[in-house]
Amino acid sequence: MQVEFIEPFVRATFTVLSQVVSASPERGQLTLRDGNTFTTQELSTLLGVSGDIEGVALYGMSQVTALKIASQMLDQDVKEIDELASSALSELANIITGNATTHLETAGFQCDITPPSLINGSGIQVTTLCPALLVPVSSQFGKIDINVALRKTRKAA
Amino acid sequence: MSAKILTVDDALYMRKMLCSILDGVGYQTCEAPDGEAGVAAYEAEKPDLVLMDITMPGLDGIGAPKAIIEKDPSAKVVICSALGQQQMVLEAVKAGACEYVVKPFEPEKVLEIVQRLLSAAA
Repeated sequence: MQVEFIEPFVRATFTVLSQVVSASPERGQLTLRDGNTFTTQELSTLLGVSGDIEGVALYGMSQVTALKIASQMLDQDVKEIDELASSALSELANIITGNATTHLETAGFQCDITPPSLINGSGIQVTTLCPALLVPVSSQFGKIDINVALRKTRKAA
Repeated sequence: MSAKILTVDDALYMRKMLCSILDGVGYQTCEAPDGEAGVAAYEAEKPDLVLMDITMPGLDGIGAPKAIIEKDPSAKVVICSALGQQQMVLEAVKAGACEYVVKPFEPEKVLEIVQRLLSAAA
């Protein structure tokens, strides 16, 4: 796992959070997760990446943060993560990851992404292809953990 | 009668948002949650223009425009995708898309493209 793979995701998160929910994000400390597994937060959105690099991007947040972001996106007071709120949060992750792949193309890596999946429930152990890098991003809505576990494929090597 | 626009996107949120933008200026709207349903809705609804996502389960936003244009060579398909890679834009154009908008977008940008394409056809 190379640090260069997570930077496009952090850049994309900053741009998309500013544009979609008018957030003023702040970046936290980059850390490498220990081993190939980690445990989810209360709500996570997960997308697969394939192509020159492969693996997953997973955006974790608390229920409170998820409700605040969904409320801002839907312009209404969201009190539960229903179908529309789930869709809004999944789409946010889709837009961030899509924008990240555009930055990855500039860095010389062609890749595609899968439709997003939403995991509602904490304490779920996720096993990844390689140890994930984590960058927390904070804003007025709370903290989003950007977890990226990506490795080069043979095609790119 | 106002023009009819079909929105094809797997995200309910995005379908609602696009339909609300279009409804707001008087267009008729219809929607489909994936490529297959989009092709079926195109035949059933005969819209004047299609807004299409790329990353969708099943038939995606590259395969669906091909299927639509094969049946109706005059179909107008605008891609609205989070993917902005040059290679993806090229694939979409090869598949017959006439415009490409990268998400996130400003509502005005989508409306400007829709109005331009519809007035060119009128």
